Amino acid sequence: MTADALTQEFEEFSGQLKSFILRITASVQDTEDIVQESYLKAYSSLDTFQGESSLKTWVFSIAANLAKDNLRARNRWTEDVSDICKEKALTNQQFFQEAMQIRQTSPQGQFEIKEHIAMCFTCISKSLPLEQHLVLLLKEIYDFRIKEIALIMDQTEAMIKYYLHTGRETMIRIFEKRCSLIKKEGICHQCTELNGIFNPKQNAQEEIVKIKMARDAEKEGKEKLFDLRAEIIKGIDPFTSKAATLQLHHLEHNRQVMEAYLKKDG
Amino acid sequence: MKYLITTLMIMTVTATMAQDGKATTIKNTFNRQTSVSIRIESDPAIIWKLLTNASDFPRWNSTVISIEGEIRKGEKIRLKSTLDETRTFKLKIKEAEPEKMMIWGDGKGNRVYILTVNKDNSVQFSMSEKIGGLMFPMYAKYLPSFDESFEQYAADLKREAELIANTKN
Repeated sequence: MTADALTQEFEEFSGQLKSFILRITASVQDTEDIVQESYLKAYSSLDTFQGESSLKTWVFSIAANLAKDNLRARNRWTEDVSDICKEKALTNQQFFQEAMQIRQTSPQGQFEIKEHIAMCFTCISKSLPLEQHLVLLLKEIYDFRIKEIALIMDQTEAMIKYYLHTGRETMIRIFEKRCSLIKKEGICHQCTELNGIFNPKQNAQEEIVKIKMARDAEKEGKEKLFDLRAEIIKGIDPFTSKAATLQLHHLEHNRQVMEAYLKKDG
Repeated sequence: MKYLITTLMIMTVTATMAQDGKATTIKNTFNRQTSVSIRIESDPAIIWKLLTNASDFPRWNSTVISIEGEIRKGEKIRLKSTLDETRTFKLKIKEAEPEKMMIWGDGKGNRVYILTVNKDNSVQFSMSEKIGGLMFPMYAKYLPSFDESFEQYAADLKREAELIANTKN
Protein backbone atom coordinates (compact mmCIF):
# COMPACT_ATOMS: atom_id res chain seq x y z
CA MET A 1 0.00 0.00 0.00
CA THR A 2 1.22 3.50 -0.80
CA ALA A 3 1.27 6.46 1.57
CA ASP A 4 -1.26 8.25 -0.61
CA ALA A 5 -3.63 5.30 -0.46
CA LEU A 6 -3.25 5.21 3.33
CA THR A 7 -4.05 8.92 3.59
CA GLN A 8 -7.06 8.59 1.34
CA GLU A 9 -8.49 5.55 3.12
CA PHE A 10 -7.69 7.01 6.54
CA GLU A 11 -9.77 10.06 5.63
CA GLU A 12 -12.73 7.81 4.91
CA PHE A 13 -12.87 6.25 8.37
CA SER A 14 -11.21 8.98 10.45
CA GLY A 15 -14.59 10.29 11.60
CA GLN A 16 -15.45 6.88 13.05
CA LEU A 17 -11.98 6.55 14.56
CA LYS A 18 -12.29 9.96 16.18
CA SER A 19 -15.68 9.26 17.73
CA PHE A 20 -14.45 5.82 18.91
CA ILE A 21 -11.52 7.40 20.75
CA LEU A 22 -13.70 10.19 22.17
CA ARG A 23 -16.10 7.58 23.56
CA ILE A 24 -13.15 5.89 25.29
CA THR A 25 -11.29 8.92 26.62
CA ALA A 26 -14.15 11.45 26.99
CA SER A 27 -11.57 14.09 26.10
CA VAL A 28 -11.50 16.05 22.83
CA GLN A 29 -7.85 16.96 23.30
CA ASP A 30 -6.74 13.37 23.98
CA THR A 31 -8.86 12.18 21.06
CA GLU A 32 -7.16 14.52 18.64
CA ASP A 33 -3.73 13.50 19.93
CA ILE A 34 -4.49 9.77 19.65
CA VAL A 35 -6.01 10.04 16.18
CA GLN A 36 -3.03 12.02 14.94
CA GLU A 37 -0.58 9.59 16.54
CA SER A 38 -2.46 6.66 15.02
CA TYR A 39 -2.04 8.14 11.56
CA LEU A 40 1.65 8.83 12.11
CA LYS A 41 2.24 5.30 13.46
CA ALA A 42 0.37 3.77 10.54
CA TYR A 43 2.34 5.94 8.11
CA SER A 44 5.72 5.07 9.62
CA SER A 45 5.00 1.34 9.82
CA LEU A 46 3.11 1.00 6.55
CA ASP A 47 5.68 -1.54 5.31
CA THR A 48 4.59 -3.93 8.11
CA PHE A 49 0.97 -3.87 6.94
CA GLN A 50 0.56 -7.19 5.16
CA GLY A 51 -3.08 -6.82 4.20
CA GLU A 52 -4.12 -9.70 6.49
CA SER A 53 -6.92 -7.48 7.71
CA SER A 54 -8.49 -4.37 6.25
CA LEU A 55 -6.55 -1.13 6.65
CA LYS A 56 -9.36 0.16 8.85
CA THR A 57 -9.01 -2.81 11.22
CA TRP A 58 -5.24 -2.35 11.31
CA VAL A 59 -5.46 1.37 12.09
CA PHE A 60 -8.13 0.77 14.73
CA SER A 61 -5.78 -1.73 16.39
CA ILE A 62 -3.05 0.93 16.48
CA ALA A 63 -5.50 3.44 17.94
CA ALA A 64 -6.90 0.95 20.46
CA ASN A 65 -3.38 0.21 21.70
CA LEU A 66 -2.65 3.91 22.08
CA ALA A 67 -5.96 4.38 23.89
CA LYS A 68 -5.17 1.51 26.27
CA ASP A 69 -2.08 3.46 27.37
CA ASN A 70 -4.02 6.70 27.79
CA LEU A 71 -4.68 7.67 31.38
CA ARG A 72 -8.13 9.11 30.65
CA ALA A 73 -9.13 5.96 28.79
CA ARG A 74 -7.89 3.81 31.66
CA ASN A 75 -9.84 5.92 34.14
CA ARG A 76 -12.99 3.98 34.91
CA TRP A 77 -16.03 5.94 36.02
CA THR A 78 -18.91 4.75 38.17
CA GLU A 79 -22.31 3.64 36.88
CA ASP A 80 -24.03 6.47 38.78
CA VAL A 81 -21.93 9.01 36.84
CA SER A 82 -25.08 10.89 35.75
CA ASP A 83 -26.19 11.44 39.36
CA ILE A 84 -22.75 12.58 40.48
CA CYS A 85 -22.37 14.99 37.56
CA LYS A 86 -25.93 16.30 37.82
CA GLU A 87 -25.40 17.19 41.48
CA LYS A 88 -22.24 19.10 40.61
CA ALA A 89 -23.87 20.83 37.63
CA LEU A 90 -26.77 22.08 39.75
CA THR A 91 -24.36 24.08 41.88
CA ASN A 92 -22.26 25.23 38.93
CA GLN A 93 -23.84 28.38 37.55
CA GLN A 94 -21.07 28.85 35.04
CA PHE A 95 -21.79 25.46 33.46
CA PHE A 96 -25.40 26.39 32.73
CA GLN A 97 -24.50 29.90 31.56
CA GLU A 98 -21.99 28.48 29.07
CA ALA A 99 -24.43 25.80 27.94
CA MET A 100 -27.17 28.35 27.39
CA GLN A 101 -24.75 30.54 25.45
CA ILE A 102 -23.86 27.59 23.22
CA ARG A 103 -27.56 26.76 22.81
CA GLN A 104 -28.30 30.30 21.64
CA THR A 105 -25.30 31.05 19.46
CA SER A 106 -23.72 27.85 18.15
CA PRO A 107 -24.81 26.22 14.88
CA GLN A 108 -24.18 22.91 16.67
CA GLY A 109 -25.86 23.96 19.88
CA GLN A 110 -29.30 22.40 19.58
CA PHE A 111 -30.54 20.11 22.30
CA GLU A 112 -31.98 16.81 21.13
CA ILE A 113 -32.96 13.95 23.40
CA LYS A 114 -31.33 11.43 21.05
CA GLU A 115 -28.02 13.23 21.30
CA HIS A 116 -28.24 13.25 25.05
CA ILE A 117 -28.92 9.49 24.97
CA ALA A 118 -25.65 9.11 23.06
CA MET A 119 -23.75 11.25 25.56
CA CYS A 120 -25.28 9.31 28.43
CA PHE A 121 -24.16 6.03 26.80
CA THR A 122 -20.61 7.39 26.52
CA CYS A 123 -20.54 8.27 30.21
CA ILE A 124 -22.10 5.04 31.50
CA SER A 125 -20.01 2.78 29.27
CA LYS A 126 -16.94 4.28 30.94
CA SER A 127 -17.93 2.34 34.06
CA LEU A 128 -17.22 -0.97 32.28
CA PRO A 129 -13.78 -2.56 32.55
CA LEU A 130 -11.68 -1.15 29.68
CA GLU A 131 -11.59 -4.39 27.62
CA GLN A 132 -15.39 -4.73 27.81
CA HIS A 133 -15.78 -1.07 26.91
CA LEU A 134 -13.58 -1.27 23.80
CA VAL A 135 -15.12 -4.52 22.58
CA LEU A 136 -18.67 -3.30 23.15
CA LEU A 137 -18.03 -0.14 21.13
CA LEU A 138 -16.24 -1.95 18.32
CA LYS A 139 -19.05 -4.49 17.92
CA GLU A 140 -22.22 -2.63 18.76
CA ILE A 141 -21.41 0.87 17.50
CA TYR A 142 -18.76 0.39 14.82
CA ASP A 143 -19.99 -2.95 13.44
CA PHE A 144 -16.68 -4.79 13.46
CA ARG A 145 -16.92 -8.58 13.35
CA ILE A 146 -15.70 -10.75 16.24
CA LYS A 147 -12.73 -11.91 14.15
CA GLU A 148 -11.71 -8.32 13.40
CA ILE A 149 -12.12 -7.27 17.03
CA ALA A 150 -9.87 -10.19 18.04
CA LEU A 151 -7.20 -8.71 15.76
CA ILE A 152 -7.73 -5.17 17.05
CA MET A 153 -7.58 -6.28 20.67
CA ASP A 154 -4.94 -8.99 20.15
CA GLN A 155 -7.15 -11.49 21.97
CA THR A 156 -8.79 -14.78 21.07
CA GLU A 157 -12.30 -14.76 19.61
CA ALA A 158 -13.51 -16.60 22.73
CA MET A 159 -12.29 -13.75 24.93
CA ILE A 160 -13.88 -11.15 22.67
CA LYS A 161 -17.20 -12.97 22.99
CA TYR A 162 -16.78 -13.03 26.77
CA TYR A 163 -16.01 -9.29 26.96
CA LEU A 164 -18.85 -8.44 24.61
CA HIS A 165 -21.40 -10.53 26.49
CA THR A 166 -20.43 -9.29 29.94
CA GLY A 167 -20.22 -5.67 28.75
CA ARG A 168 -23.65 -5.86 27.13
CA GLU A 169 -25.22 -7.54 30.13
CA THR A 170 -23.81 -4.91 32.47
CA MET A 171 -25.02 -2.03 30.31
CA ILE A 172 -28.47 -3.61 29.97
CA ARG A 173 -28.69 -4.00 33.76
CA ILE A 174 -27.68 -0.37 34.34
CA PHE A 175 -30.15 1.04 31.80
CA GLU A 176 -32.96 -1.21 33.10
CA LYS A 177 -32.41 0.26 36.55
CA ARG A 178 -31.80 3.85 35.52
CA CYS A 179 -33.36 4.86 32.22
CA SER A 180 -36.91 6.19 32.53
CA LEU A 181 -37.22 6.10 28.73
CA ILE A 182 -37.40 2.30 28.85
CA LYS A 183 -38.68 1.66 32.40
CA LYS A 184 -41.35 3.62 34.25
CA GLU A 185 -39.45 2.99 37.50
CA GLY A 186 -36.18 4.23 35.97
CA ILE A 187 -34.54 6.71 38.29
CA CYS A 188 -32.93 8.93 35.65
CA HIS A 189 -34.98 11.54 33.74
CA GLN A 190 -32.04 13.72 32.81
CA CYS A 191 -32.68 13.84 29.07
CA THR A 192 -36.25 15.07 29.49
CA GLU A 193 -35.26 17.47 32.28
CA LEU A 194 -32.59 19.03 30.09
CA ASN A 195 -35.01 19.16 27.18
CA GLY A 196 -37.25 21.26 29.41
CA ILE A 197 -34.39 23.67 30.08
CA PHE A 198 -33.02 23.97 26.55
CA ASN A 199 -36.27 23.58 24.61
CA PRO A 200 -38.88 25.09 26.98
CA LYS A 201 -41.55 25.35 24.29
CA GLN A 202 -41.25 21.73 23.30
CA ASN A 203 -43.44 18.96 24.69
CA ALA A 204 -40.94 16.37 25.95
CA GLN A 205 -43.45 13.51 25.62
CA GLU A 206 -43.93 14.31 21.95
CA GLU A 207 -40.18 14.23 21.48
CA ILE A 208 -39.86 10.92 23.32
CA VAL A 209 -42.40 9.12 21.16
CA LYS A 210 -40.28 9.98 18.13
CA ILE A 211 -37.61 7.68 19.56
CA LYS A 212 -38.25 4.04 18.63
CA MET A 213 -36.50 2.70 21.74
CA ALA A 214 -38.85 4.68 23.99
CA ARG A 215 -41.91 3.98 21.84
CA ASP A 216 -41.28 0.23 21.86
CA ALA A 217 -40.15 0.05 25.49
CA GLU A 218 -43.20 -1.84 26.73
CA LYS A 219 -43.39 -4.42 23.99
CA GLU A 220 -39.71 -5.18 23.43
CA GLY A 221 -37.31 -7.19 25.57
CA LYS A 222 -34.23 -5.69 27.19
CA GLU A 223 -31.83 -7.12 24.58
CA LYS A 224 -33.77 -5.56 21.71
CA LEU A 225 -34.01 -2.27 23.60
CA PHE A 226 -30.24 -2.26 23.96
CA ASP A 227 -29.90 -2.86 20.21
CA LEU A 228 -32.23 0.08 19.57
CA ARG A 229 -30.13 2.23 21.87
CA ALA A 230 -27.00 1.19 19.97
CA GLU A 231 -28.74 2.19 16.73
CA ILE A 232 -29.25 5.70 18.14
CA ILE A 233 -25.57 5.97 19.09
CA LYS A 234 -24.47 4.70 15.67
CA GLY A 235 -26.44 7.45 13.99
CA ILE A 236 -24.72 10.23 15.88
CA ASP A 237 -21.26 11.62 15.20
CA PRO A 238 -20.35 13.50 18.39
CA PHE A 239 -18.17 15.94 16.43
CA THR A 240 -20.49 16.85 13.57
CA SER A 241 -24.03 16.40 14.87
CA LYS A 242 -26.53 19.21 15.37
CA ALA A 243 -25.88 19.17 19.10
CA ALA A 244 -22.15 18.46 18.99
CA THR A 245 -20.90 21.65 20.67
CA LEU A 246 -23.50 21.48 23.43
CA GLN A 247 -22.94 17.78 24.13
CA LEU A 248 -19.14 18.06 24.01
CA HIS A 249 -19.39 20.88 26.54
CA HIS A 250 -21.51 18.62 28.74
CA LEU A 251 -19.11 15.70 28.31
CA GLU A 252 -16.15 17.90 29.23
CA HIS A 253 -17.99 18.94 32.39
CA ASN A 254 -18.72 15.32 33.28
CA ARG A 255 -15.12 14.28 32.67
CA GLN A 256 -13.79 17.01 34.93
CA VAL A 257 -16.31 16.11 37.64
CA MET A 258 -15.48 12.40 37.43
CA GLU A 259 -11.73 13.00 37.48
CA ALA A 260 -12.11 15.09 40.64
CA TYR A 261 -14.50 12.53 42.13
CA LEU A 262 -12.18 9.59 41.44
CA LYS A 263 -9.17 11.51 42.75
CA LYS A 264 -11.01 12.28 45.99
CA ASP A 265 -12.16 8.68 46.27
CA GLY A 266 -8.55 7.54 45.99
CA MET B 1 4.63 -34.07 47.11
CA LYS B 2 2.15 -31.19 46.79
CA TYR B 3 1.76 -31.97 43.07
CA LEU B 4 1.09 -35.62 43.93
CA ILE B 5 -1.60 -34.68 46.45
CA THR B 6 -3.28 -32.35 43.94
CA THR B 7 -3.17 -35.02 41.24
CA LEU B 8 -4.65 -37.63 43.58
CA MET B 9 -7.36 -35.17 44.58
CA ILE B 10 -8.27 -34.57 40.94
CA MET B 11 -8.24 -38.30 40.13
CA THR B 12 -10.55 -38.99 43.07
CA VAL B 13 -12.90 -36.21 41.98
CA THR B 14 -13.18 -37.29 38.35
CA ALA B 15 -13.47 -40.98 39.13
CA THR B 16 -16.47 -40.64 41.42
CA MET B 17 -18.79 -38.38 39.51
CA ALA B 18 -21.59 -38.78 37.01
CA GLN B 19 -21.30 -36.73 33.81
CA ASP B 20 -24.87 -35.53 33.33
CA GLY B 21 -25.25 -32.54 35.62
CA LYS B 22 -26.71 -34.65 38.44
CA ALA B 23 -24.95 -34.28 41.76
CA THR B 24 -23.88 -37.25 43.85
CA THR B 25 -22.91 -37.32 47.49
CA ILE B 26 -20.82 -39.96 49.24
CA LYS B 27 -21.04 -39.92 53.02
CA ASN B 28 -18.46 -41.46 55.35
CA THR B 29 -17.96 -41.24 59.08
CA PHE B 30 -15.38 -38.50 58.89
CA ASN B 31 -16.20 -36.77 55.63
CA ARG B 32 -18.75 -36.07 52.94
CA GLN B 33 -18.09 -35.47 49.27
CA THR B 34 -20.52 -33.92 46.78
CA SER B 35 -19.68 -33.91 43.08
CA VAL B 36 -21.19 -32.84 39.81
CA SER B 37 -20.02 -32.93 36.22
CA ILE B 38 -21.53 -31.48 33.07
CA ARG B 39 -20.63 -31.22 29.38
CA ILE B 40 -20.42 -27.63 28.14
CA GLU B 41 -20.23 -26.63 24.49
CA SER B 42 -17.96 -23.68 24.94
CA ASP B 43 -14.35 -22.64 25.06
CA PRO B 44 -12.30 -23.41 28.19
CA ALA B 45 -11.11 -19.77 28.21
CA ILE B 46 -14.71 -18.54 28.51
CA ILE B 47 -15.49 -21.00 31.33
CA TRP B 48 -12.28 -20.06 33.11
CA LYS B 49 -13.13 -16.35 32.86
CA LEU B 50 -16.57 -16.99 34.32
CA LEU B 51 -15.07 -19.01 37.17
CA THR B 52 -12.45 -16.40 38.04
CA ASN B 53 -14.31 -13.08 37.71
CA ALA B 54 -15.42 -12.71 41.33
CA SER B 55 -17.65 -9.65 41.05
CA ASP B 56 -19.49 -11.02 38.00
CA PHE B 57 -20.56 -14.29 39.70
CA PRO B 58 -23.98 -13.15 41.00
CA ARG B 59 -24.99 -12.07 37.48
CA TRP B 60 -24.94 -15.60 36.07
CA ASN B 61 -24.70 -17.94 39.05
CA SER B 62 -27.95 -18.14 41.01
CA THR B 63 -26.28 -20.00 43.91
CA VAL B 64 -23.87 -17.14 44.67
CA ILE B 65 -24.95 -13.97 46.45
CA SER B 66 -21.55 -12.30 46.33
CA ILE B 67 -17.82 -12.93 46.13
CA GLU B 68 -15.38 -10.32 47.36
CA GLY B 69 -11.70 -10.48 46.51
CA GLU B 70 -9.73 -11.79 43.58
CA ILE B 71 -9.94 -15.37 42.42
CA ARG B 72 -6.23 -15.93 41.89
CA LYS B 73 -3.82 -18.44 43.37
CA GLY B 74 -2.82 -17.45 46.88
CA GLU B 75 -5.61 -14.88 47.28
CA LYS B 76 -8.39 -15.01 49.86
CA ILE B 77 -12.04 -14.48 49.00
CA ARG B 78 -15.25 -13.90 50.97
CA LEU B 79 -18.13 -15.90 49.56
CA LYS B 80 -21.83 -15.59 50.36
CA SER B 81 -23.90 -18.44 49.02
CA THR B 82 -27.60 -19.23 48.90
CA LEU B 83 -26.76 -22.42 50.84
CA ASP B 84 -26.54 -20.30 53.99
CA GLU B 85 -27.26 -16.62 53.40
CA THR B 86 -26.26 -15.65 56.94
CA ARG B 87 -22.69 -16.87 56.62
CA THR B 88 -19.66 -15.50 54.84
CA PHE B 89 -17.19 -18.22 53.88
CA LYS B 90 -13.57 -17.12 54.00
CA LEU B 91 -11.74 -19.23 51.47
CA LYS B 92 -8.25 -19.40 50.04
CA ILE B 93 -7.48 -20.08 46.41
CA LYS B 94 -5.06 -22.93 47.00
CA GLU B 95 -4.36 -23.95 43.40
CA ALA B 96 -5.20 -22.39 40.05
CA GLU B 97 -4.00 -23.59 36.68
CA PRO B 98 -5.72 -21.47 34.00
CA GLU B 99 -8.33 -23.30 31.94
CA LYS B 100 -7.54 -26.58 33.73
CA MET B 101 -8.14 -26.71 37.46
CA MET B 102 -8.67 -24.73 40.63
CA ILE B 103 -8.98 -25.55 44.32
CA TRP B 104 -10.66 -23.30 46.90
CA GLY B 105 -10.89 -24.20 50.51
CA ASP B 106 -10.63 -23.58 54.22
CA GLY B 107 -9.69 -25.72 57.20
CA LYS B 108 -12.77 -27.92 56.87
CA GLY B 109 -12.64 -28.80 53.22
CA ASN B 110 -11.79 -28.14 49.63
CA ARG B 111 -13.72 -27.47 46.47
CA VAL B 112 -12.04 -28.73 43.32
CA TYR B 113 -12.90 -27.46 39.82
CA ILE B 114 -11.63 -29.34 36.80
CA LEU B 115 -11.99 -28.49 33.11
CA THR B 116 -11.21 -31.19 30.56
CA VAL B 117 -11.48 -30.70 26.82
CA ASN B 118 -13.44 -33.56 25.23
CA LYS B 119 -12.62 -35.10 21.85
CA ASP B 120 -15.46 -33.12 20.26
CA ASN B 121 -13.95 -29.87 21.65
CA SER B 122 -16.67 -29.46 24.24
CA VAL B 123 -15.54 -29.04 27.84
CA GLN B 124 -16.27 -31.35 30.75
CA PHE B 125 -16.74 -29.24 33.84
CA SER B 126 -16.37 -31.12 37.10
CA MET B 127 -16.83 -29.71 40.58
CA SER B 128 -16.42 -31.53 43.86
CA GLU B 129 -16.36 -30.52 47.49
CA LYS B 130 -15.11 -32.67 50.30
CA ILE B 131 -15.79 -31.64 53.89
CA GLY B 132 -14.40 -33.56 56.77
CA GLY B 133 -12.07 -34.04 59.69
CA LEU B 134 -12.08 -35.56 63.13
CA MET B 135 -14.87 -33.26 64.31
CA PHE B 136 -17.02 -33.97 61.24
CA PRO B 137 -19.43 -36.40 63.02
CA MET B 138 -20.25 -33.61 65.51
CA TYR B 139 -21.53 -31.13 62.91
CA ALA B 140 -22.45 -33.38 59.99
CA LYS B 141 -26.16 -33.35 60.80
CA TYR B 142 -26.23 -29.53 60.65
CA LEU B 143 -24.81 -29.38 57.14
CA PRO B 144 -27.39 -28.84 54.41
CA SER B 145 -27.30 -31.05 51.32
CA PHE B 146 -25.20 -29.54 48.53
CA ASP B 147 -26.77 -31.61 45.74
CA GLU B 148 -29.36 -29.15 44.51
CA SER B 149 -26.98 -26.20 44.74
CA PHE B 150 -24.26 -28.09 42.82
CA GLU B 151 -26.67 -29.04 40.06
CA GLN B 152 -27.85 -25.44 39.78
CA TYR B 153 -24.26 -24.16 39.73
CA ALA B 154 -23.33 -26.53 36.89
CA ALA B 155 -26.50 -25.72 34.94
CA ASP B 156 -25.97 -21.96 35.33
CA LEU B 157 -22.35 -22.24 34.17
CA LYS B 158 -23.36 -24.35 31.15
CA ARG B 159 -26.12 -21.92 30.14
CA GLU B 160 -23.91 -18.83 30.45
CA ALA B 161 -20.79 -20.31 28.83
CA GLU B 162 -22.80 -21.68 25.88
CA LEU B 163 -24.65 -18.39 25.47
CA ILE B 164 -21.32 -16.55 25.21
CA ALA B 165 -19.83 -19.12 22.84
CA ASN B 166 -22.85 -18.72 20.56
CA THR B 167 -22.46 -14.94 20.26
CA LYS B 168 -23.11 -13.90 16.68
CA ASN B 169 -20.00 -13.04 14.67
